[in-house]
Amino acid sequence: MSALPMTPSPDPLDCAGLRHSFGRRKILDGVTLSVPQGAVLGLVGRNGAGKSTLIRILLGLLRPDGGESRVFGRRSPELDDALKQRLAYVPQQPEAFHWMTVGAMLDFVGGFYPRWDTAYVDAMLRRWSIKRSAALSKLSPGERQSVALIRALATQPELLVLDEPAAALDPVARRELLREIARRAGDSGTTVVFSTHIVSDLERVASQAAMLHRGRLLLNAPMDDLKETHARLTLPAETGLPQHVTGELRRRRHGDGSVSLVLAREAGGPWPQLCEAQGARLEGLSLEELFVEMGE
Amino acid sequence: MKASALLIQPSAAEPIFRQIAEQIRRFVASAQLAPGEVLPSVRDVAEFHAINPMTVSRAYSLLEAEGLLERLRGKGMAVANTHARPKSQEQRLDFLDAQLREVARQAEELELPAAMVLKRLRGLMEK
Repeated sequence: MSALPMTPSPDPLDCAGLRHSFGRRKILDGVTLSVPQGAVLGLVGRNGAGKSTLIRILLGLLRPDGGESRVFGRRSPELDDALKQRLAYVPQQPEAFHWMTVGAMLDFVGGFYPRWDTAYVDAMLRRWSIKRSAALSKLSPGERQSVALIRALATQPELLVLDEPAAALDPVARRELLREIARRAGDSGTTVVFSTHIVSDLERVASQAAMLHRGRLLLNAPMDDLKETHARLTLPAETGLPQHVTGELRRRRHGDGSVSLVLAREAGGPWPQLCEAQGARLEGLSLEELFVEMGE
Repeated sequence: MKASALLIQPSAAEPIFRQIAEQIRRFVASAQLAPGEVLPSVRDVAEFHAINPMTVSRAYSLLEAEGLLERLRGKGMAVANTHARPKSQEQRLDFLDAQLREVARQAEELELPAAMVLKRLRGLMEK
């Protein structure tokens, strides 16, 4: 048992102050995050930002240099089989059991899960035209990812963690996966964490979005609020600018001397006075633009 | 109304719940959605558009708080009966205000004369 106090229903995932380096390269530099039950967290970040590392630490597959993470309230490195049965994880490149056929692997894995949904497996294999008799090693990357997703979803997990699930899927399969994620979150209260660099996927299905950048989490907020609490303010070159503007997250001076700022405000709160300045332009940002501005 | 009647643009600057709320407001204002008419369920909208059900709920709750929708026991959300009278043309035109302002602003940036823009708009509307 964990020595730490447990609340009645702990968040499916949370972590505090996670730090990790590979050699001299700092990957995570104080990441604190919690994912409440039923939330769908979309995690974005540039390649190499540490999304996979964060996920692996959260699930106890990698021991961090510092900080702490928990799954269902239990410290991640100490997950027992009973807890592991409640979660499913699909890594970026699923490689397990590659010597088996699709059917043999699914039957084998299914045996370990009391809630294994055979009907779902059969329906999805048919839908995605994947033969049970096919060898896993002979599948295309997209098919392999599809099988891994079927396997994860068939366990009817309470917590589903997907690392770049959309990377190898075609647009139709991707949309179907999003639909499935939304359905599970809505109907069964499944908690989902998925990393992606396809921002429109995240916009559709995430209830919470976070950006991993230079080892830290930026913009960790409810999805619906992100667009309304962030905006870009562009000011002409001659505007007098204070050292720091209220809510300022990023400042960029352009070639022509004009300046653009990314601003954040409280939900429903005011924008700073500066937005009224002569020639100032305040504009809403799509998530894609917001992430690009923040990731520069 | 069917879930497919809604247009969802994830990459717009407007959050999805506001896109849904705005469209329903317009449908009600134009009486395309009549008082008492039941809206598609949260689940159906979420499923059709592959979006998070909480986003749909939030749009519905917002409109419920405004009095535009009411929750019918066991039947879901319906257009409130207090909104029996369709809005005047003038009031309906107000719904386009934000979009028209944006078109006007961009037309000015492009240095396009009003007559030309109006002609194109007329063409689009009379198609």
